[in-house]
Amino acid sequence: MDNSLYRLVYYSRNQIGDDGAAFSSNVDEILAKSRVNNLRDEITGALLFNAGCFAQVLEGPLERVEAAFERIQQDERHGEVSLLAVDPISHRYFPNWAMGFIGTSEAHAKRFADVGSSSGFDPSRLSGEQIHTLLRDLAIEEEAA
Amino acid sequence: MNAVTSILHTLEPHPFQLLNTEKILELLPRPVLVVGSDGLVVYANKASEVSFGAFPGGAVHALFTGLGTDLPDTSCAPVSVTSIHSGESFDAAFVSFDDGQYLVDLRPASQNQGIALKTDVDELTGLAKRNALLSHLSSALSNGSKSSSIAVHCLDLDRFKMVNDTLGHATGDLLLKKVADRLKAACRKSDVVARLGGDEFVILQHDVDDLAAAEKLASRIVDLVGRTYVLNGHTINIGASVGVAFGADALQPDDLLRNGDLALYEAKKAGRGRYRMFESGMDALLLGRREMEIDLRRALALKQFKLNYQPFLDVSTKRVDGFEALLRWEHPVKGNIPPLSFISLAEENGLIVKIGEWVLRTACLEAMSWPNDMIVAVNVSPLQFKADTLLETVASALRHSGLPAHRLEIEITEGALLDDTDNVIQTLNAMRALGVRISMDDFGTGYSSLSYLQKFPFNKLKIDRSFVACDDADSEAILRSIASLGTSLGMSITAEGVETAEQLARIRGERCTHVQGYLTGRPMGTDQIPAFLAQHIL
Repeated sequence: MDNSLYRLVYYSRNQIGDDGAAFSSNVDEILAKSRVNNLRDEITGALLFNAGCFAQVLEGPLERVEAAFERIQQDERHGEVSLLAVDPISHRYFPNWAMGFIGTSEAHAKRFADVGSSSGFDPSRLSGEQIHTLLRDLAIEEEAA
Repeated sequence: MNAVTSILHTLEPHPFQLLNTEKILELLPRPVLVVGSDGLVVYANKASEVSFGAFPGGAVHALFTGLGTDLPDTSCAPVSVTSIHSGESFDAAFVSFDDGQYLVDLRPASQNQGIALKTDVDELTGLAKRNALLSHLSSALSNGSKSSSIAVHCLDLDRFKMVNDTLGHATGDLLLKKVADRLKAACRKSDVVARLGGDEFVILQHDVDDLAAAEKLASRIVDLVGRTYVLNGHTINIGASVGVAFGADALQPDDLLRNGDLALYEAKKAGRGRYRMFESGMDALLLGRREMEIDLRRALALKQFKLNYQPFLDVSTKRVDGFEALLRWEHPVKGNIPPLSFISLAEENGLIVKIGEWVLRTACLEAMSWPNDMIVAVNVSPLQFKADTLLETVASALRHSGLPAHRLEIEITEGALLDDTDNVIQTLNAMRALGVRISMDDFGTGYSSLSYLQKFPFNKLKIDRSFVACDDADSEAILRSIASLGTSLGMSITAEGVETAEQLARIRGERCTHVQGYLTGRPMGTDQIPAFLAQHIL
């Protein structure tokens, strides 16, 4: 059993679509579930989302991170998953599990504002590491795609 | 003292009547009840108290679910029931007494399953094994009107072997487990997911309303199984190929699986990472290929192959330079089978190496009987380079026939240079060192990569017939540029498929040095060559 600290970074195409209510309720469900699972699994990191994509950094014991990623892979609400990195890290970059809307849609920014603030989502944390910056930029590009 | 006398010996001091029936029933580790005709428990042994909380006077229907309102007829098979008290499952058998009372014998259901589990469940993945799948299939197929509403999905993992080879079997096994999980996630609870061995899985899908429902599951499988895996920090990418077949009334489980496998074969042939639905032509197609393969394996020994030779001429001297050997298969029943219909099959099963060797030896031998210094050109398949015996075969064919090396021309296609280019070029150089000529066949149709022309100085480029047949400006421009490219690299240029005098005039104008086609000579047997040469004038 390998329980050393790892970081997994991916982004994927959101297949929920952007038809208002369905998008909101699906995102709510995903957020609620990942909050519970990740707290249990000692996983920290960030989930960025918009109408176009999901982008995640998962930090934690390798085995837990792999299990979480496998759950994510089995979810049909997204597809075309691009795995950007799986590598060992010396310390966690995110103090907790945070998630937030990222993108230019004002309606979505408003709708999901409380999600970000209640989970402690801090976009500035994404500027420290190159891979995190890359992920943020990818996510913003994918919003319109 | 043997076992029987031992028991007798033990029993002797105790009078047999001490062990009355009630005592035996009390000690029996499995539940037994006696129920009156009114449905109330008359007797409950110790085990039934534990498993059901049963007591005399209680209603039997309050003890377990799965029992109808009436007590079952004694003639019927055991009924599966579940204890309301403990949740355990039992098979209940009913035996009636003369007075309308029943004996209820309850056998724990898990005892039977325990035996089945060992043989029917795959230890690694927890999925059903072949036997379990077959029994599910036969019960679904024997279900009359419902047999058309099932589908099987036969599935193979693409690139699984590479994972096993590079990351080891332990990782391979972990991967199989994850694949099994994803398959279960893609299916409904009522579907059966089985692993038949290795990386071979089958899904039995129930309640398939229409084609679209089966296609939906198949494409979901291809998508989910093909998504990236992370195992022990390794990133692993594999794919899934799926063949789908539908149940039908007259089908046996084996037929249905075979149809699924045929569709799977087509999916893999179409490029893997996709699904194919079974179509009724697929079995005939594969059967035809199988028959042809059996015939092809015998064809050499039965001497059914024959070589014909088509002349090629020097455009400037108007003389025949040599002949290209063309393979003919004279099948005793099907007649002449053209190379296009069997070469790809021979390449697929490797027979091409033996056939190619026969062609080389025969062509060299037959060319010895031709007048003058006529060249014989022989086609060599890319597969023959991979076999690593080509150089030896060429040398030995020359030695045995006594044909001077400069009279042999080896024709290769670009396909030979695609893989393992360095080794192929080494072989080409070694053949050239023997004195053999090397030409590039069908130039213009494949990649037409100029780097191949740079890597090896071919004696000759053969321009594909399609550029000769079309008389549009584009074909003409291509013909002209290949010809001038080749001549400036010091190569001869043969235009193939020349059938009319106009085409001949055109290729002469485009700097082609050689011509081959029906106009200048059809393929002929070796015995016709002297007569052909005697009368031939361009």
